[in-house]
Order: sequence, then structure tokens, then C-alpha cells
Amino acid sequence: MNASLRRIGRFLAPLAISMALLFALWYLFLAAFPQVGPRVGKSPTDVWSYLFGGPASHTARANLLENLQITLRDATIGFVAGIGAALIVSALFVLFSTLEQTLLPIAVLLRSVPLVAMTPIIVLVFGRGVAAAAVMAGIVVFFPALVMIMAGLREAPRQAQELVEAYGGNRWSALRMVAIPSALPSVFAAARISVPGALIGALIGEWLGSGEGLGSSLIKAIPRYQYNELWASVAVVTIVSILLYAVVGVLENLVLARFGPDAGRSS
Amino acid sequence: MTPALHRREFIRYAALAGFAVGGTGLFAACGGSGSAGSSGGSSADGSKFGSVAVQLSWIKNIEFAGEFFALEKGYYKEAGFGSVDLVAGGAAGTGVEAGLDTGKIWIGMSAPQLTAPAVLNGLPAKIVGATYQKNPFCIVSSAAKPINTPQEMAGRKIGVQDSNQLVFGALLDANDIDPKSITVVPAQFDPSPLANGEVDGWVSYVTNEPITLASKGFTNHAMLFADFNLPLVAETFTVKQDTIDNERDKLKAFLIAEIKGWQDAVANPAESALLAAEVYGKDQHLDVAEQTEEAKAQIGLVVSADTKANGLFTMTQHLVDENISALKAAKLDIAAGDLFDLSIINEIYTERPDLKI
Repeated sequence: MNASLRRIGRFLAPLAISMALLFALWYLFLAAFPQVGPRVGKSPTDVWSYLFGGPASHTARANLLENLQITLRDATIGFVAGIGAALIVSALFVLFSTLEQTLLPIAVLLRSVPLVAMTPIIVLVFGRGVAAAAVMAGIVVFFPALVMIMAGLREAPRQAQELVEAYGGNRWSALRMVAIPSALPSVFAAARISVPGALIGALIGEWLGSGEGLGSSLIKAIPRYQYNELWASVAVVTIVSILLYAVVGVLENLVLARFGPDAGRSS
Repeated sequence: MTPALHRREFIRYAALAGFAVGGTGLFAACGGSGSAGSSGGSSADGSKFGSVAVQLSWIKNIEFAGEFFALEKGYYKEAGFGSVDLVAGGAAGTGVEAGLDTGKIWIGMSAPQLTAPAVLNGLPAKIVGATYQKNPFCIVSSAAKPINTPQEMAGRKIGVQDSNQLVFGALLDANDIDPKSITVVPAQFDPSPLANGEVDGWVSYVTNEPITLASKGFTNHAMLFADFNLPLVAETFTVKQDTIDNERDKLKAFLIAEIKGWQDAVANPAESALLAAEVYGKDQHLDVAEQTEEAKAQIGLVVSADTKANGLFTMTQHLVDENISALKAAKLDIAAGDLFDLSIINEIYTERPDLKI
């Protein structure tokens, strides 16, 4: 128990520092580019008073939360679908290496097509509802996760796999008993990295596709000259993504601690 | 025994830093860091007024024929400008008001429904003239399933561009329509979602998409905002108050060049189309015949009985009042004196009556 607490501490402390750094960067950015001016460039203090200090703060908060819920829904569906698909496909690739040799280059090629360029097609196929935004989020999540998880599955100790074979196990049981447990650190790392990715995918999907959620509202705030709303939305999305990243990280450390104090630490 | 920075920890920091930098980059793209050189009046190039950046309200098409003529015929140079940089617009991040506020541009083509919220939020800026006397916005729909009145939009899908959200909202407000009764679909520049039936209506300029769609064989119907309680002017010249107060001569010189450019544009629709399609908007792959049609249609928006009497870009008191009450219907409560300053354009025509057509 102590060991897992220590692990979580070691994970969270730098994250808290990063968060503080982010605010410092924010102030620094505004100071470095004074031409942005007080109406377009809002500081953390401005955002705070917009959300909590003024008479209209209540509606501002309610509005932001409503949009955030939609974005989180889109991102969650994309995240789960993306990671799930990456798990299945990477297992198939490792089991059947001819499949990998044929399809992985295509996956890498697809990855290099800008998401924004694919949006019109995605929207045509999946409509302009939740599906399109979730598909966008899923695409952002899927490809990096696929590569990371496959690397993890591939790093499974050879001897242990051979042991399974020697006892009459097939490829499938070797995958289940050796490769998957030893790939857990990679799976969690992929999940952690995918949290901001899923949010970005959902935001783009909402902006260009569904027209609801934060991805749409923060763009619409610009012609209305509501820069308070814009900055508040970006700040909230950033903070939420760091928090979710932290949640996944804590889960990761809790699970990996079961495999020993240093599991997944010396990759 | 605290180990040195683990590789994975390093990756974590790098990822976070990347996210942070990406975030600030987004803001920069939204109208942050501007080039100081093109905004001010530095006459490093030896001209009287130096170079200025002009934010257009849309991509470089026929809507800016007057500006293209002013460049092509050297009217800006004649007026004392070293170079005039036309900045294409239309996306949410290229708003005139944010550009003015951040010093990225010196003047911009905007509209009352865009300038008013910025002024109400504290931006000291004003409209000093209007190219389009009549509201050019319309809802274009398929001739087979036409949208004839704002009420007929209920229960249907309408494509609305980010920069046109406000004018669309104003149309709904001005006609007492519940925004929830309509499905608004985010739109970009290309109206093909209307042509392929994905949406039922598309916000556009009556001089633009209805003509391009018709030329591609998509027969359509256009419902003008101006016919439904929204007599807003458009393509307005918006500048900072500081420009009006301290650079009046420069502003007058610029507007005179614009007047000359637009007189040419009104006189030569075919040449306007050539300039748009083959010179300034070359990368937009515009069609000359289409652009000629648009140039002809545009004349009806730019020239009115009032501009014939008072000169291009002028606004009568009646037109100003109409605009203010239309804005009020759209919940933008602003006084005429806070939004419009037509003294400059009127001064120009008093001094140079020969500029009237």
C-alpha cells in the first residue's frame, strides 16, 4: 500500500508543478505580447472573475458546464472506442504478423492525413451528431495507441512465451498469459497520452461537424467578441484534460504497483 | 536515492509542454501576435503614409473588386500609401475587430453586427463608411424545397459560417423565431453541403453562392435578410477611434482611393471579374463568367439612389437609424454615435464633389 502511495506521489507531484507552470506561461505569454491587449488577451485573473466574480458569472458557469458535458461525452466515446480498437487491432497484428505487414503501413499513411482535411468525409459518413465528433476523437486516439500497445506486446519476454508453448499453449494463450500483462505499462501510457488527444479530436469534431459543445461555442465566442468566454473555455478544457490525465495516471500506478514496486518504471 | 529524470517522466513533461505551447499557439493564431510593421504608419518605404494592412471580411473574391482596382490602378499609391496588404478573411480567427484591437491591421471590412458587440465590449472603434448599402445576406435553398420566409426554416437544417453566426441570430431575433426550432450546422466556405442535400439552407451573400450554385446546375431560391426586418449595411470600413482622431488625413486619403477603386468596379463588372479570378483571387480558382455575374449583381448593393446623390460609402441618417433599430432587435443596444462616424466620408465629398458619380 505504501509503495503504491509513493508511486502515486511521484506521479502527481511533477504534474502539479506542470499545472503551476502552465499558469506562469499564460501570464508570461500576455506579458511577452502586449499588443494582444486587454480585451482580446485575458489573464487567469480575468477568467476567474468572469467565472466566479461578476453578476453574470452564474450563467457563464452554467453555459460553460453544459458545453463541457457535451465535449466530455464526445471525448469519452472517442477515447473508449479508440483505445478499444487499438487493443483489438494490436493483438491481431501481433498474432498474425502478415496482417501487420500489410495493414500497418496503411495505418501510418492514414495517420499523416490532417484530421481537418478528413472532416468533410467523416461528417458525410457519420452525420453531424455525436458520432462524427466521437469518430474524430477516436481517430486521434487510435493510431498512437496502436503503435504504443504493439510495441508493448512485442516486448513480452521470449522465454516466458516459450515456456507457455512448451506446456502446450498456443499463440493465443501466450498472448493472454504473457504478452498482455507485460504490455500493461504501454497500454496505460497510451491511455494517458490519449486523454488530451481525445479532447482535441472531440473539439475539432464539434467545431467542424456537430456544432455543439465547447469546440463550437469557443469559436462562436470570437465574432461575438466574448474573449472572456473563449479564454475560460480553453482554460477549462486544459485543466480538465490535465485532471483526467492525472486520474488515468493514478489508476495506472495503482494497477502496476500490484506487479511490483518498479513495474513499468524502467521501460 | 532519487533517480535522475526518468525517460518516461521526461516524455510526460515534453507532452505537457507540448500541450501548453500548442494552447498558446492557438491563441496566437486567434489574433494574437501581430506584425507591428504593417499596422502603424511607418513610412520606411519613403511614401507619405507607409504601408497598411486591410482585413477583408471574406476570401479574395469579387466582393473586394474596388480594392483590387485601387491596387491595380495605383490609387492607393497615388494617395500616399507605400503598399496596401489585403488580408483574406472569413474564418472566426480573422475578425476585423480583433485585428484592430491587437494592432494587426489598420482598417477592415466589417459589418454593424460585428462591430457593435466589440464596441459594447470596450473596443474604441467606429464604422466610417459602408460599401454595401443593402444587406447582402440571404438564405439560399434548393428551388425544389425553397425557404421563402424565416418561419419556414423551422425544423430544417441551415448551414451557418462561424463569422455569420451573429447576423443569422439577428435574423431570428428580428423575426421572433426560436433558435431551438432550427438545426444550425457549422459551415465553411464551400456550399456543397447544400448541393448534396446535407442541409436545407445556407447563409450566403446573394451576390455569391446563389450564382455559383446556379452555374453548377443547382437551381436555387434566395431569401434576402433585407426583406425580413434586417436592413443592415455590410462591407463597412471599420477603424479604431485613434485613427479617426489622429490620422484623419491618412484615413481620408485611403477612402478616396477606395472611392476611385469602387467607381471603376461599378463601371467595369467584367474587368472586376478578371481581377478577382485571375490576379488577386487566383488561388481561389474562381470562374470569370460567374464572377462577372456576381459583379453585376453587386452593383445593386453598392449603388443606390442615395449614393448617386451623396457619393459611394455614404449613409443617410435614415439608413443609420434603420441599422440601429435592426441591431436593437438583435439585442445589440448601441447608440448611433457610438457605432458610426460618417463625418469623414461626408467631409471628403464636401471637399471633392467631383468624386460623386
